[in-house]
Amino acid sequence: MTALRVEALEAGYEPGLPIVRGASLSVESNEILAVLGPNGAGKSTLIKAIAGLVPVSAGRVLLHDREITGRAAHRLPHEGLGFVPQTENVFVNLSIDDNLDLAASILKVPKKRRLDKLYALFPDLARQRRLLAGRLSGGQRQMLAVARALVGEPKVLMLDEPSAGLSPKLVGIVFEKLVEVRATGVTIVLVEQNVKAALAIADRAAVLVEGSTRIVGTARELAKDPQVAALYLGHYRGDT
Amino acid sequence: MLQLIADGFVIGSVIALGAIGVTLVYSILRFANFAHGELLTWGAYLAWTALLGFAAVWGPMEPLGPFSFGWTLLASLGVAAIATAALALLVDLLLFRQLRRHGSAITLIMASFGAALVLRNLLQFIFGAVPEYYSREIQVAIRLVPRDVLGGLRITPDQLFVLGLTAVSVVGLHLFLTRTTLGKAMRATSINPQLAQVTGIDVDRVVRATWIIGAVLAAVAGVFSGLTVQLRPQLGLDLLLPLFAAAILGGIGSVYGAVAGGLIVGLAESLSVPIVGAEYRAATAFIVLIAILLIRPTGLFGERP
Repeated sequence: MTALRVEALEAGYEPGLPIVRGASLSVESNEILAVLGPNGAGKSTLIKAIAGLVPVSAGRVLLHDREITGRAAHRLPHEGLGFVPQTENVFVNLSIDDNLDLAASILKVPKKRRLDKLYALFPDLARQRRLLAGRLSGGQRQMLAVARALVGEPKVLMLDEPSAGLSPKLVGIVFEKLVEVRATGVTIVLVEQNVKAALAIADRAAVLVEGSTRIVGTARELAKDPQVAALYLGHYRGDT
Repeated sequence: MLQLIADGFVIGSVIALGAIGVTLVYSILRFANFAHGELLTWGAYLAWTALLGFAAVWGPMEPLGPFSFGWTLLASLGVAAIATAALALLVDLLLFRQLRRHGSAITLIMASFGAALVLRNLLQFIFGAVPEYYSREIQVAIRLVPRDVLGGLRITPDQLFVLGLTAVSVVGLHLFLTRTTLGKAMRATSINPQLAQVTGIDVDRVVRATWIIGAVLAAVAGVFSGLTVQLRPQLGLDLLLPLFAAAILGGIGSVYGAVAGGLIVGLAESLSVPIVGAEYRAATAFIVLIAILLIRPTGLFGERP
């Protein structure tokens, strides 16, 4: 079953100046889809447009066959779409507990049961739940951002460059955690610059160039495709 | 000395309630609203209008116990709070909301100056420039401390009412911000509006709540000012600088800072009167503001960037 489908989407910050130009992709349930592409390809704009943060001028977005195109950003978490922004993705003045508690209050989910589950999934966070989010390391902060987006038990979780600013070791830890999250039944859409790490955990990948989807294939195919690597993925080579 | 401190707390209560609105709007809407003082004036005059309306129906106000006012003033305060909140929402709808979409912070600030001028002149056009009073009852001050202890302390029941209701309002606001979902949503929005949205918070609802809370507290502060001093169209303009001094002193964006800042500014103004005279008391508040900001640039409760 298709969890998320994007059809010929056009979106941008200014009217008449679309950054995303006719992007299409579909994500099957319980799949990890990596959205790749060179700098300025419109990857972040695409994911923000799906999340309701960037105006959509054409095309459609369907979440489990229900149209959510242009819906206000605050409504989507209530409808099963979680989003982790690239930066400033936790409330730095609140503790870990308060970050999760706030999301639980807003999304009206049973707090204790949900937070216990999340702390079991993220034991690092459980150990320091009273610590201010602003004092967390980059990796821990990213874990908290993912945990916050999971509070509402989303069907689809979208992440905008979760590896940004992290050391290779931390990227590995965060991405392993995403695989664990997928194992709980969550579909994941991952916008990434770190092609190697993304393709290592993704089932399929879509390559975005100049705002439109150029190549879609399995992660294995794309990782081995030298043309793809040379054309769109910069320095990355599938065999490195 | 004790008398000056008590007077300072009464002045500080009015400033604190007004400064909460300034700081809330700044932290959530990210601009300094120079029209906030006018909400105090409108709140005070709307309560006066409601009071006249009640008097026309039920006759002149009978004082309630030791106070100079009766239950109709309390009812008028409720009416004024609702009407002032409606006025704030109307100004937001017609002006600030349009500019938030496309304008910068400086555009909003300049627009707030314009809104202040319109609101003040409209009020003066409707109500006139002559000072008014809620009640002309003479109140006997209660002696709380004998004269031979630090100069003694006398306070009127109305002033005690102002102090008590300010404390209740601040505690109520604290409980609202920390215990209710909307209060928590307001705190989250003030930290990071975009993250608040993707967490499921309706930021437009938070903005409406911000205007309503700021305006209700402004109306209460305006009525307190009218009750303890008098009603004048310049009331809000005269209080504007102390309101901003209090908000900045406490750490702009911090509700508790605004309360502390309000009380400090009130105390500084009051305690300076015997030294520099009433004409220069506003300047004293600013000297305190500068001194505190030199030591702690983010204000008393402000977060370091």
